[in-house]
Amino acid sequence: MSERSEHRAGESPASGGGTKPCVNCGCAGKSAKQDARRGFMFRFGAALLGVGGAIAAVPILGTLLAPARRQASGWVSLGSADAFPPGQTRFATFLNPIRQPTDGDSAKTACWVRCISPGKYQVFAVNCAHLGCPVRWFAQSRLFLCPCHGGAYYEDGSRAAGPPPRGLFEYPWKIDGGNLLIEAGHLPGLEQTT
Amino acid sequence: MIGAAVDWVEARTGAMAFIAPLLTHHVPRNAKWWYVFGSATLMFFTIQIVTGVCLAMLYAPSAAEAWESLRYIDEQVPFGWMLRALHGWSSNAMVVMMAIHMLQVFLHASYKFPRELNWVTGVFLLFTVLALAFTGQVMRWDQDAYWGLGIGASIADRIPLIGNQVRGLLLGGPIIGGETLSRFFALHVFVLPGAAIGLVGLHLALIMKNGISEMPKPGATVEPATYREEYEKRMAKDGVPFYPDAAQRDMVFCGACLVLLVVLAAVYGPFGPGGQPDPTLIDANPRPDYPFLWIFGAVSLLPPASETAVMLVAPLVGVLVLVAVPFLANAGERAPSRRPGMVLIASLAVMAIAALTWEGKTSPWSPVMNAWSALPTPGHFLTGRTPLQVQGANVFQFAQCRNCHALDGLGGERGPALDAIATRMTPDQLMRQIQQGDGNMPAFGRNLDSAQMTALVSFLTTLKPEFEAPARIPGAQLPLPVRRMPGEVATPVAAGPQ
Amino acid sequence: MSAHRAVATLGALVACGGVVVSTTGCDRLPGRPTAAQVAAEGTAEWTIQVFNTSCRGCHAQGTEGAAVPLMESDYWRAATDEQVARAVLEGQGMLMPAFGPSAGGPFTASQASALTRGMRAIWGGATRQSSEISGTVVAGNASNGKSVFDAACAGCHGAAGSAGSVTDPMYLRLVSDQGLWTAVVAGRAALGSPAWNEPMPGRPSGLTATEVADVVAYLSSQRPRSMSETQP
Repeated sequence: MSERSEHRAGESPASGGGTKPCVNCGCAGKSAKQDARRGFMFRFGAALLGVGGAIAAVPILGTLLAPARRQASGWVSLGSADAFPPGQTRFATFLNPIRQPTDGDSAKTACWVRCISPGKYQVFAVNCAHLGCPVRWFAQSRLFLCPCHGGAYYEDGSRAAGPPPRGLFEYPWKIDGGNLLIEAGHLPGLEQTT
Repeated sequence: MIGAAVDWVEARTGAMAFIAPLLTHHVPRNAKWWYVFGSATLMFFTIQIVTGVCLAMLYAPSAAEAWESLRYIDEQVPFGWMLRALHGWSSNAMVVMMAIHMLQVFLHASYKFPRELNWVTGVFLLFTVLALAFTGQVMRWDQDAYWGLGIGASIADRIPLIGNQVRGLLLGGPIIGGETLSRFFALHVFVLPGAAIGLVGLHLALIMKNGISEMPKPGATVEPATYREEYEKRMAKDGVPFYPDAAQRDMVFCGACLVLLVVLAAVYGPFGPGGQPDPTLIDANPRPDYPFLWIFGAVSLLPPASETAVMLVAPLVGVLVLVAVPFLANAGERAPSRRPGMVLIASLAVMAIAALTWEGKTSPWSPVMNAWSALPTPGHFLTGRTPLQVQGANVFQFAQCRNCHALDGLGGERGPALDAIATRMTPDQLMRQIQQGDGNMPAFGRNLDSAQMTALVSFLTTLKPEFEAPARIPGAQLPLPVRRMPGEVATPVAAGPQ
Repeated sequence: MSAHRAVATLGALVACGGVVVSTTGCDRLPGRPTAAQVAAEGTAEWTIQVFNTSCRGCHAQGTEGAAVPLMESDYWRAATDEQVARAVLEGQGMLMPAFGPSAGGPFTASQASALTRGMRAIWGGATRQSSEISGTVVAGNASNGKSVFDAACAGCHGAAGSAGSVTDPMYLRLVSDQGLWTAVVAGRAALGSPAWNEPMPGRPSGLTATEVADVVAYLSSQRPRSMSETQP
């Protein structure tokens, strides 16, 4: 069957019909039957490896690629809405609703809460829209300033100056039982719709 | 007795038969001190592996404990801080030595036939080592590491269509957290060192296969058709065995490097860890490690419109160009004197990286976040001023102007220094600039009360050298009325433009 | 032979290094990181740290800093601790920001008091707030104050005064009554302003406590109620 068979030293030529000379050296080679069997064994082994590999690849690629999947955000409370007086912008922290047991401090998240008027809020992510550094609120000049490249934002989160391509990222919010809740999870970023 | 033992091992392993040619192969006689940088890079890499393995035995690669475990290594483990210092300094030294080695190879055109793949494996090694440096910064798991990852994530996020997925893969999840550190730990201690060891082996095998290149001589061109044959001939006739003729220089240079490394580590100690990786402590001022400061600088100086394109495309172009170098010119002259264009390119690259590193280190584009409350207004800007002007100086601090504008050289450098602003802008121009801002300055119109604004402008109009005329509207025949300071000498004003 | 000597020299160097390290101890090398020391609240070190990052930009010493100089004793003679701590927490006038929790600021009430006590201990020295005059505003008679102002102050601080006008409506809008009070009582020696009871060009004997109250009441009465009044 295969013409690419090799001659192996010490192999006795097969008896019976169907012998033909080895293509490589012209010696009286092994039988085509043996040849075929060896070829089949190899391909069978390769197929087995392929099937086994494909099955094993599921958990390997599965765990490796899982983080690419978006997870649902969750609602998380920032505490009583009364803690955010109208006309002011306050610092607030929360534990990220999407977190793992090993996150430690890194599951803590900060945000800026602006109360426009009673019952009306804006909740900004601390991450600058430029490269994600933490912006700080300066109540006197009513600006958010980024320490990395000097991105500046107005009180309402709109871009004031510097390199950011857009305003600050905002979290959706709602009031529930007197508490201010925001919908958070993923690290805010440009490709995101929130 | 010993001889018999050696023979016994040799008969079973063939070790000497393998090693002997490595030691005795002939290298060019004129390959003097130029050729020690590759060996020094390898030495630093060896130190990285040894210290790295020791550190891995002490370090807790868990987001909740990594920072504490580093503090523990620094403060409790005997010699622990020295181990970290050696690992950190050796990392920087390896990057520097690698850059010098690469520069030497580039200037001497050693990458030409038949050593194209020596160069290509070297380029891959360069990126592997830089990746090790970046993931190593993440291992520190402090504020710089956290926000540095944030910057990486923000760049990944800018990739069109799949940015979010790429970011997820980079961080190992939706946030910078436990899985991020574990992922980078796996990269830093398994994947990248494995790749580096493989590439080093390949690099060395190629050196054995192709021989050490000779010092370039003007006129001695590389002709692929005959090069190998002639190189063999020259080596047989004029070469010297690697050991001890060339190896002695490698030994001395590596030894000196190692001593220097130990001194640096002992005197300057380990890098970080900085502030604890709690993202709610936002008083952070993230800065990358030395090998990446130039990239930080470059990213900061890009015009915003081109930013995304450059950040995503430039690294790819960089890799392609570096890999392509030996294929663009793999024959002909090697001497720098006959390749002025290449020398120019190399010099420009070195200068650009040095300048950008300096920019990244000083980062003049960053506001000084506590300048407004920490840097007092210099006294000579307050003496002899009216009460309103002094209040204007208060507004200057109050409204955080100082965070971006320096006085007496102190304060932010994001905006221009204002020591002599009154010679450049009239009160009306100052008022308009403050109220409306421009691309790099926020508009303060909505944020300052009119009394604050008036006081601020009246303060700014005093910021000029004593005997210099204030700014005027072009073409105006008389200086604009400015409040005369008590004791100020009336400044003679020439009529009309000069 | 020379090679052997080189090796011997190297060996000796290494031995010396070993002796140095083993006697001084690895722990005393300059690169050894020290455990980060956080100054305890209320200590002088803590006060200086907080002051240098949060206060010094406006409150320095001598001619430096546009607001009252806290780093010299003159001010501490004019002010009470309660008033300073209140200013830290709640702000004062239009230009002293509130640093207390009610404004989302960084200091708690106890930290503000500790900071005040610390500052007085460092820069006020042994000075206590003067017993001759109040540290906080005392109500006065504005019409009386006008005649005192015209006689004693206007030469330097009047509308045409050599030191610049303090009746400028914009100035008065920015400074609170307490700010005016402190300015009159403490003065600012480095910038040429005398304290309330020191000799002044218009009044060699200085002012009395009642006159201070009257002058502050007069200046306060000159403050425009709304911005439209500031237009000339």
